[in-house]
Amino acid sequence: MSDYGAPPPPPPAYGAVPPGQPAGGPPPNNLVWAILTTLFCCLPLGVVSIVFAAQVNSKWAAGDYAGAQDSARKARQFAMWSAIAGLVIVVLYIVFIVLAASNS
Amino acid sequence: MLHIQVGSPVRLLPDRWTRLAAPGGTALLAATVVGYVGAVDPNQAGHYPTCPFLFVTGLYCPGCGSLRAVHALAHGDVPEALSRNPLTVLSVPLLVALWVLWTRRRLTGRRRSWAAPGWAIWGLLAVVIAFWILRNLPGFAFLAP
Repeated sequence: MSDYGAPPPPPPAYGAVPPGQPAGGPPPNNLVWAILTTLFCCLPLGVVSIVFAAQVNSKWAAGDYAGAQDSARKARQFAMWSAIAGLVIVVLYIVFIVLAASNS
Repeated sequence: MLHIQVGSPVRLLPDRWTRLAAPGGTALLAATVVGYVGAVDPNQAGHYPTCPFLFVTGLYCPGCGSLRAVHALAHGDVPEALSRNPLTVLSVPLLVALWVLWTRRRLTGRRRSWAAPGWAIWGLLAVVIAFWILRNLPGFAFLAP
């Protein structure tokens, strides 16, 4: 007996919906938010968003639909917190500039 | 002068406008940001905040140089943009393509039926982390912002 469990199912033919796949297609992986926070907003935490996005697609492709949904939820939450962190930094910066200007 | 063809199939239902509101708003927001960054030069100190990661650690992050890259792109200077942040420049066509697919889904009302293979996004992660490390190393100054 193999210790590695059952072999993975063969990949479905192009365009075919694998059996058991929920309707509605793959869950959103928020990859765009991940790219925007990492490459445009200078927030290195965005790489964590890329990890979640990759998890969504990997789990979906492997047939782990519940896992994919869970990763999608985490990706969304993390993107939201990154956006809030970015806003907080911008607000703090503006406050800092205004205070520096009023002291000089 | 407003020119409307007689009998042209102008059947823009309010429903369609509602569906296009999010992609349209995103395009408008992106155009506004690019216009602002193009007009207000990030090469001059004091216009924008320093990258918080660079400020705290003294190291470049994968996003460092992106404001100057967008500024250069807004002025059509692709080589300058590439020298500031090549990944930012390379991500622009990807973001535009994803926007087009999203807009098409909104128009047709169809759900996303296809997901990129996981390895493609893990590959992107590897590229971003390699870029992050390399641009801080001597000998890879061409990757630094």
